[in-house]
Amino acid sequence: MPFRELSHIQLDALKEISNIGMGHAATALSQMIGQTVRLRVPQVTVTEISQVPEHLGGAEQLMVGITMQVLGDARGSIMLLFPQESAHRLLCSLLGHQDRGHTLSEVDISALKEVGNILASAYLNALGNLLKKVLIPSVPLLANDMAGAVVDNVLIELSRSGDLAMMVETDFSGGQNREKTIRGHFFLLPDPATLDIFVNLVGGLHG
Amino acid sequence: MDNRVSIAQTRIGRGPEVLRACGLGSCIAVGLFDPRNRIGGLGHMLLPSHPEDSPFGKAGKYVDIGISGMVEELVQAGASRTGLVAKIAGGANMFETTYQTLINSIGARNAKSARETLAKLAIPLAGEEVGGNRGRTVEFDLATGKMLVYCARDEDPILI
Repeated sequence: MPFRELSHIQLDALKEISNIGMGHAATALSQMIGQTVRLRVPQVTVTEISQVPEHLGGAEQLMVGITMQVLGDARGSIMLLFPQESAHRLLCSLLGHQDRGHTLSEVDISALKEVGNILASAYLNALGNLLKKVLIPSVPLLANDMAGAVVDNVLIELSRSGDLAMMVETDFSGGQNREKTIRGHFFLLPDPATLDIFVNLVGGLHG
Repeated sequence: MDNRVSIAQTRIGRGPEVLRACGLGSCIAVGLFDPRNRIGGLGHMLLPSHPEDSPFGKAGKYVDIGISGMVEELVQAGASRTGLVAKIAGGANMFETTYQTLINSIGARNAKSARETLAKLAIPLAGEEVGGNRGRTVEFDLATGKMLVYCARDEDPILI
């Protein structure tokens, strides 16, 4: 199903299942860092693949990105992006160490991948239960670099089947005081070939 | 002034214009330059070669037809077909994993396809800054044919 043909109801339904999935993921994150995690209303964007880096705040913005493929009954990619400062704040909460600037140690990388794994698993589990489908995340991959470079692998995968990308995005933030807020962006990018699975099942739920 | 060459785009211009491709990971930037006529182009490609059976999409997505398309465009705009030289940058593998998959070798395959396509078109490769596991931003100067490659954690760009 081409991305552009989605109706408002279908888009709303995608937002809603994403909201439910992200709710579970946020609960998991909140337990890990011992802080409240707030969610923004999800956004569904259909855009030219070339415009995706702009949506992420610019191709040269430094980001820590964790990407996973969605495996099982439906295919797609999950991207979890943290601005660099947020990634370090998250590590401070998780590992209890002091902010050590911009490099990531082996332990840091491993911890962040684990966060990615837990969030994606919680998200996909919730989605899978709702849709009665098996959805599992692949081993997480991490890159700490320019946003464009971090995400272009995912875009390459998508570009095999078209020139458009559909992103279901949920922004979240944690931490009480403003200077120490942890911000992250969670993206689901369904493969065009399996978008039908999401949409048909969601359509079924709605009537 | 927007001098950006975005993903899946190829663009040509004349000196003193400087073309820029930002945030390349596995993607590859291919710069073509005719020093005599000071005309050149830059492409920001995603995939090594176009599939034979499926619809094209944008030609600029693919290294092979992206390069040949850019050559034609340059010749039409007055470049010398035999005077062109090329420089390439990008083609990294951003994710270090213990297992090799099709996805994490795409950068290397993009670089290989660029070298092969250029060889087939008899365009000499004058410089390259490819591979590794870092993101790159490229600036291609169409007055001089110099390519500056910026990396996230290095202060100074690499000149090729």
